[in-house]
Amino acid sequence: MGPVELLHMSVFSQSFSPCGRFLAAGNNYGEIAVFSLSAALSPDATAANQKPVLTFTAHEGPVFSLLSTDVHLLSAGNGEISAWSWNELTKKNVKPLWTKRPNYKSSLEIPEINSMIINPRDNSLVVGGGDNNIHIMDLEHGVFKNILQGHSDYIHCVSVRDREAEILSGGEDGAVRMWGDDLVLVLFQSCARPQFGKWISCLTTDSDWMLCGGGPSLSLWHLRSLSPTSIFPLSGCQRQAAFYQDKILAVGEGAFVSHCLLGGEVKAQIPCTPQSLNTLQLNTNSTEHRVLTVGGSSDHIDVFTNLSYRAFSLSF
Amino acid sequence: MGAVTDDEVIRKRLLIDGDGAGDDRKINVLLKSFTKWCNSPGTPEEGFMQYQRMLGTLAQCEFSMGKTLMVYDMNLREMENYEKIYSNIEQNIMSAHEKIAECKKEIQRAKRIRKNRQEYDALAKVIQQHPDRHETLKQLEALDKELQQLSHIKENVDAKLELRKKQFHVLLSTIQELQQTLESEYFLLSVAVEQTNL
Repeated sequence: MGPVELLHMSVFSQSFSPCGRFLAAGNNYGEIAVFSLSAALSPDATAANQKPVLTFTAHEGPVFSLLSTDVHLLSAGNGEISAWSWNELTKKNVKPLWTKRPNYKSSLEIPEINSMIINPRDNSLVVGGGDNNIHIMDLEHGVFKNILQGHSDYIHCVSVRDREAEILSGGEDGAVRMWGDDLVLVLFQSCARPQFGKWISCLTTDSDWMLCGGGPSLSLWHLRSLSPTSIFPLSGCQRQAAFYQDKILAVGEGAFVSHCLLGGEVKAQIPCTPQSLNTLQLNTNSTEHRVLTVGGSSDHIDVFTNLSYRAFSLSF
Repeated sequence: MGAVTDDEVIRKRLLIDGDGAGDDRKINVLLKSFTKWCNSPGTPEEGFMQYQRMLGTLAQCEFSMGKTLMVYDMNLREMENYEKIYSNIEQNIMSAHEKIAECKKEIQRAKRIRKNRQEYDALAKVIQQHPDRHETLKQLEALDKELQQLSHIKENVDAKLELRKKQFHVLLSTIQELQQTLESEYFLLSVAVEQTNL
């Protein structure tokens, strides 16, 4: 990988292994790199520990979404989903377990897959992508069992409400759709920022509350009453957000991670290496490697052991 | 066995003699001077002086022995003191660890409480924007009453309209009957007039 390619690399997705000791990151060249967190976080770590233990080309197009189940790593490339076994990856065996493609209406263009999430209620994989539809795949049998149509433009992000087993999806058309027993639609008036557009690029939910943002400002919604409760005064467009303890972490345009309180105030903005950030992940699978990692338009992935400052960076 | 203890003794003597600068030598010198004094033919004053000197040396030796004993005692007590401090510090470390764990749990709880409070606040803000329930109920009641009154009035007006309609109907039908009767009488009259003319 030459220096020019490294300069143009963007990290689009990350996922931690189920044991919490490895991090997989996908970039725009279709590669997935597996980093060993336990080596990088150990007291006698060297610069070599901040390089990946394994890098392989997973797809032809950029890897926009990575997801870990209990044993598999699922990666989404250009219209196809591949599954890799974490055990095999730690042994440096890069053969995918399976590669599936959702049923697209037209076989001419292959829409990209932007986001995937697991619905734990019925162990299904929810996939949202460029063909404006949400495909639901049953993970046990490996068949695509349902297609949810309704968005009029491509889908950026999907999320799942655990308690009610509803799927939330946000897309380029500016609508957040809740697919449950009855379909509900959410539109944005007060937090709209017309200068950026109306697309929703980040969506995350806490069962009762939902964070969404993108073109409109990042806002916190109470899902039962479907009313916006707080609007966060962040200047750029946010690409990913997460609930963490009593705070909200958001990344997007701008070389920092924003910490906000639920009331709407921005408490801190911690600077990072990449110029703009695409992905944010918290390692909840392990107690001793509880870190936050962010990646964006750079070949460096910043690791935070304490949320208040950047500890070190892993690099492709 | 004897060689070992000899070695030990020699090592110990060499070690100790380093700082005494001749405590051992003093005792040897004392012994030598004692034997010299016992066998000396000198004058009684000289003998007395030597005797005094020997007593002085003896006193010095006793003094240094006493000092060493005291130092030994002091060392023992210092050791005890250090042992106590050591165990004290260990206990403190343990309790500090426990306190840290407790505080961490406290922090988690406090963060959860803070998150709940913020959620309440956010919802409260939204709720405040909506009007008070009592006022809305009162408005609803007032509107209900108005609605009832108006429907009452409407009923009255409708009844009046019906009545007037019926009255006019009766009037008109009576007028028509009268007209018909008058016309038929007129017709009969005209027919009778024509017959008489012929």
